[in-house]
Amino acid sequence: MNTLRLQNVSKTYKNGVKALDDVSIEINSGMFGLLGPNGAGKSTLMRTISTLQQPDSGEIHLDDIDILNQKMELRKVLGYLPQSFGVYPKLSAEKLLHYFAELKGLSNKAERKKIVDYALEITNLYDVRTKHVAGYSGGMKQRFGIAQLLLNDPKLIIVDEPTAGLDPAERHRFLNVLREIGTNHIVILSTHIVDDVKELCTDMAILNGGKLLCHKKPIDAVLDLEDKIWGHTIDRDDLEKYETNFKLISTNYNQDNSLNIRVYGDVQPGEEFIKVQPDLSDVYFVHLKADETEAINSQS
Amino acid sequence: MFSKIYKFEVKSWLKTPITYIYSGIMFLFALILMASAGGIFDSFTVTTTSPTYQNTASAINDILGGINVFLYFLLPSIVGASISKDFKYEMHQVLYSYPISKASYLFAKFLSALSIVLIIILFICLGIYLGSVFPGTNPDLFTDFNIWNYLQPLLLFVIPNMIFFGAVVFAVVTFSRNIFIGFISILVLIIIQGFAQTLTADIDNKTLAALIDPLGAQALAFETEYWTVFDRNTSYLPFEGYIVYNRILWAAISILIFAFVFFKFKFNQQAIQLRLFKRKAERVIKRNFGSLIRVKLPEASKAYHFKHWLKIAFKHSRFEARYIFKNWVFISFASVTILITLITLAVRTPIYGTSTHPVTREMVDNASSLVSGFMIIITFLIVGMLMNRAKSANMNQLVDVTPFPNWSFLLAKFIAVFKMQASFYILALILAVGVQIYNDYYTFELELYVFRFFAIDYLRVLSWTVMAFLFHSLIKNHIVGFVSLLAFLILLSFFPQFGIEQSIFRYGSGGGSTYSDMAGYGPGLKVFYIYRIYWFALAIVLYLLAILFYRRGVSYSAKQRIERFKNNLSPLFASIIAMSLVIFLGIGSWIYYNDNVLNERYSGKEREQLQVDFEKQYAYLEQLEQPRITSVKIYLDLFPETRDLKAKGVFILKNKTSVPIDSVVISLSDDKDYKEIYAFDKKGETVLKDSLYDFDIFKFDKSLNPGEEVKFTFDMENKPNTLLNSRSPVRTNGTFINNQIFPSFGYRSEYEIQNNKTREKYGLAPKERMKSPLDSTALGNTYISDDADWIDFETTISTSKNQIAIAPGYLQKEWEDGDRKYFHYKMDKKILNFYAFNSAEYEVFEDKWKDVDIQVFYHKPHDYNIERMVNSAKKSLAYYSENFSPYQFNQLRILEFPLTSGTFAQSFANTVPYSEAIGFIAKVDDEDNESVDYPFSVTAHEVAHQWWAHQVIGANVRGATLLSESMSEYSSLKVLEKEYGAKQMRSFLKDALDKYLRSRRFESQKELPLMFNENQQYIHYNKGSLVLYAMSDYLGEEKMNSILSSYIDRVAFQEPPYTTSVEFVNLLKENTPDSLQYLVKDMFETITLYDNKVNKATYKVLENGKYEVTFQANVLKYRSTEKGEKEYKDARGESLVLETEKEELTSLPLKDYIEVGVFGETDESIDGIQKENVLYLNKHLISDIANEFTIVVDELPVEAGIDPYNKLIDTNSGDNRMEVKVEE
Repeated sequence: MNTLRLQNVSKTYKNGVKALDDVSIEINSGMFGLLGPNGAGKSTLMRTISTLQQPDSGEIHLDDIDILNQKMELRKVLGYLPQSFGVYPKLSAEKLLHYFAELKGLSNKAERKKIVDYALEITNLYDVRTKHVAGYSGGMKQRFGIAQLLLNDPKLIIVDEPTAGLDPAERHRFLNVLREIGTNHIVILSTHIVDDVKELCTDMAILNGGKLLCHKKPIDAVLDLEDKIWGHTIDRDDLEKYETNFKLISTNYNQDNSLNIRVYGDVQPGEEFIKVQPDLSDVYFVHLKADETEAINSQS
Repeated sequence: MFSKIYKFEVKSWLKTPITYIYSGIMFLFALILMASAGGIFDSFTVTTTSPTYQNTASAINDILGGINVFLYFLLPSIVGASISKDFKYEMHQVLYSYPISKASYLFAKFLSALSIVLIIILFICLGIYLGSVFPGTNPDLFTDFNIWNYLQPLLLFVIPNMIFFGAVVFAVVTFSRNIFIGFISILVLIIIQGFAQTLTADIDNKTLAALIDPLGAQALAFETEYWTVFDRNTSYLPFEGYIVYNRILWAAISILIFAFVFFKFKFNQQAIQLRLFKRKAERVIKRNFGSLIRVKLPEASKAYHFKHWLKIAFKHSRFEARYIFKNWVFISFASVTILITLITLAVRTPIYGTSTHPVTREMVDNASSLVSGFMIIITFLIVGMLMNRAKSANMNQLVDVTPFPNWSFLLAKFIAVFKMQASFYILALILAVGVQIYNDYYTFELELYVFRFFAIDYLRVLSWTVMAFLFHSLIKNHIVGFVSLLAFLILLSFFPQFGIEQSIFRYGSGGGSTYSDMAGYGPGLKVFYIYRIYWFALAIVLYLLAILFYRRGVSYSAKQRIERFKNNLSPLFASIIAMSLVIFLGIGSWIYYNDNVLNERYSGKEREQLQVDFEKQYAYLEQLEQPRITSVKIYLDLFPETRDLKAKGVFILKNKTSVPIDSVVISLSDDKDYKEIYAFDKKGETVLKDSLYDFDIFKFDKSLNPGEEVKFTFDMENKPNTLLNSRSPVRTNGTFINNQIFPSFGYRSEYEIQNNKTREKYGLAPKERMKSPLDSTALGNTYISDDADWIDFETTISTSKNQIAIAPGYLQKEWEDGDRKYFHYKMDKKILNFYAFNSAEYEVFEDKWKDVDIQVFYHKPHDYNIERMVNSAKKSLAYYSENFSPYQFNQLRILEFPLTSGTFAQSFANTVPYSEAIGFIAKVDDEDNESVDYPFSVTAHEVAHQWWAHQVIGANVRGATLLSESMSEYSSLKVLEKEYGAKQMRSFLKDALDKYLRSRRFESQKELPLMFNENQQYIHYNKGSLVLYAMSDYLGEEKMNSILSSYIDRVAFQEPPYTTSVEFVNLLKENTPDSLQYLVKDMFETITLYDNKVNKATYKVLENGKYEVTFQANVLKYRSTEKGEKEYKDARGESLVLETEKEELTSLPLKDYIEVGVFGETDESIDGIQKENVLYLNKHLISDIANEFTIVVDELPVEAGIDPYNKLIDTNSGDNRMEVKVEE
């Protein structure tokens, strides 16, 4: 059982953006979903944990490794897949993986070959292992990213928005691989796609504007909203009215241009509303909405 | 639309700090450069003086040219960036879909970037201007401000070059979307420019170089090569001839490039790519199904210890090296290096068109400097690329989070860079050996190559490799890193100008020695290695800093980087750094202590002050009458193994004056090098002992009466040689020392500051470089010695057993004593007080001319030209003794000495030391008419000195070298002509003319007529040979030689007052017919030049089958002032004027005899040597500027010419002949 502990981690960029605002969290083995909109600070947090970036203040520990001061120790047990990456041109997946394996300290040649082959196998890249990675499609490249991350059998795996741009089949496959790894390790998955978390995370948090808004198991978070989400179908011209009168958390169009709206409320907001089954998206939007309202209030 | 984009672009440039950073840096650079040329640093270093102004059009053009090399490198980040930023920030996807026209987009982009470049150039000009008026600069070095001096270089060169280079970068970046490739294209252009420059080494290539130099610099150099100091100071840059062609050519290329961009550019999203091979297209289907149930990674052991990472470093170095070798930055650089090295090695260092044998020393010398120079540049580049390799592939985040240590990663790159560097050296070695084989030369001396490349050159490059790692570790952008490294390199070269002279303060410098086949590297090698250890210790520190500052991860503030540095600084690293610093500082302080405390060291500035003080304090001594040396006996012991010497001397001094002499000024050797004691056999005491200037004044108790002699004895030995200091000039093999190390007498006026501007600064009265020959008080000394006339000479030299020691005189006895060998030489005639000692392991070649023994002492492998030298010596002895006077000795010896002492030959009495680098390894091509047999001509010149110096010696006044150097040149030319015919003469004289005319612009004070020359080489050698050869042509060889002979007769071996050029010229005048008197005036007494030119030449066939040639030629003659200003008026203020449609031509009044010639088809003569077919050649009396000649010849005429053999001094010798065409 591993534990990653962040205590009061803050980071402000030169341009004044507060990317991390006093983040404290404890993450245990299993899949951890970090949800948040674009620009929420997810990548900054991921990079900070991955030793690529130094926070202004705070502490991060993985078990007894003090990450900010024992970078090398962490790197030995870290697997990291950045949001976007390239590779050296004109090199095959196999060669590159061997290169990474060496960088990761795999010293025995035969064992190195075994693990590289295995990584190629499970990421379904074995057939194209001699092809240049630079020529891979988006999905293949992401899988290559996973393959390189596995090589050192990491205890802590950090994947930053890995499913963005993948087609459904690729995404599915990718998440499966992650799920498998996640059983014994800490896997932190950042995403702005709620479904990613819904499908495989055992724990999650929502990050917005550098602040942690909610840290709960997805099931608990959904459970919390039981009896608090109300749905209704309205005419699109009435939207403004509903927006001002209710805590509107999401809308989506039907084919006839009518709108399904979902509203948050401890009690039934109106007769026309019916109780609906809450889902993770509701959790996400409820928290963002609350945070936004708070931010606006504190500004005014 | 255009103006909108343009304005937007310019505005955005003006908002970026880079515009101001560039402008600021370039401004400062220009300011420092100009102010430094203006003497701003005079308070730290030697006084800056120059006969030319620093702010004339050509001077400003030079400065701009230098600074702009940097600006060219910045172009990619301005012109290139203006187009590439749209790609980089993915703006193009949006922008290209807007309705903008291609023309307005491209022109606006290009012109806006160019405008920014212009702004930077304006700042540079401002810097130059402010530098020229900066408080503290010397206003004498500047002329009045003239805006044209700035505008002209800008309009002719700077701006067109920026447009051209900009167009190239723009084109390359537009298509490749990669600034870096734009950067490489600039490098390639700069290399082409450098290549054009190397081409100019051969006179015949100058016009080609003038065309292909993209910067136009070679065109300018070509058009202004014969500019005088006056021209430089007063003329604007010419816009004519090759400058026009060059500018048109490259403007056309710029337009073509831009047109190409314009037509090829499309607003689409794909960069245009050039594909060499088409790939076969393949349909690819992804497997969309199949899933994964379980992940169970196989066990793999991991190692994080030192050994693993070391192994990985070596393994990955192969990976990195492959990247370098496949990278076309390397490939293009390597190809250029191969090409240039090959050309240089094939040509080597020709003298008078004759090359050398490809001895390994010559190959190594040539390859070494070239390859190391290129290598530092490519190392700067490649290190940057390697350090940023992951980053530019956007793979850095993947790599950075792996647990490899920085040192392993950097070590891999370091080894890869070493492999690249080694490959350059191995390539150079292969090329060199190839050239040797091609020349049928099989003594390869591989160890010499390997040692020089890897044990000397590489160690210098190493310092810069490490520096490159540090710079690129600290600086994120590798182009900025590269330019910073270059700037640092150049800044360092300016350190001495700022007064930082000692090597320990100048990164990577210090120590060095030339290699000689005879003497090896000498003691300088040890010093070199001490400095290498010193810099290596620092290199370790810098390299570790590079490791510690290596950037991993993203966005670091300076503070965080320092924090990161502290975190990385392990105790091991800290202790290595500390230890290296201790070594570095230790050796540094030791060297400093040695050079500054143990041995007094004077900066250039301090030395200048010392000279001033010496003159102020002691100039009165010049008036002191001194006794003169009449006899010299030297006992010299040379110890080649320990490089020590011991000497004992006995001089007889005689009071040759008519007054009693009570004290003697004795100049001694530098007391830091020698221990020296002396004594007179006459009572007296040392009344002054100046150890700063190393001289004593000894006062006799009783004055030395007129005619009285005194014996002076001295004993000296060098102080022990140390690691850092050699105290004696003795070499392990090839010692060459002359009498300057022994005591001399009298005030040393040659130690005074010579430059009048510097003298003025220190409040010293102006001083002529040499005194006038008309000053009868100045004729007491020869120009060789000022404390003796003719002396008796005898010496005994000892050396190690395997060496032969030689000095002037005849060998009396030779014996061995233990492991020492002794030689006793004695001269039976009086000689000049000018003698030398040589000792080496020699081979001896002996021959005889009449009863004169000829010997050549040479280094065994250098046996190529011994017979040529001996042949020349025989022919010379024969010609000179027949035409001038008998040879005064019965022996003539030629001794080879190491090139460490220089590349020259020198004539002592019956002894001619001759450098290994001149003549001994020359590869004479007897088939080639254009190349001079210089082992032959140099030997003839040195043998001639046995007459012209050792029989006739001029007083130490202006024109003295006419009587030695010019005469010897003339004499040797005659021998050469006898041996090889008139044709070799032409290539010799053509070279002499070119050298004379080219050197005039570098005159540091004033050009003087031949008979008044102040030991100026371009006058007494080059002009001297032209003038005397022409004179003999006009008078006839026999007549000329009889004048010389009677002159020798009159003045040979004379006692003071010594003869002068005036005496010779008077004799010449007496024997010159009235019609030719003007020649003496033109050639000896004044600086006179011609501008002769054929305008038109036609022929028609006459009825009798003969050919009538009619041709028109202009003859112009003018005099030049000492600064090079032209004068057309004679003493009576008259001149000739010819008004033509185009121009007004002026000339001195003419009554000159000038050769007119008509030439036919060239004959294929015997020996396969082409001989010119002269149909007509006669001297005509010319009295007008415009002349028409009608000449009937028997054969078909091909060429006609005025002064066709360039016997007269003419700045354009190419237009003296013209092809003859049929009359229409």
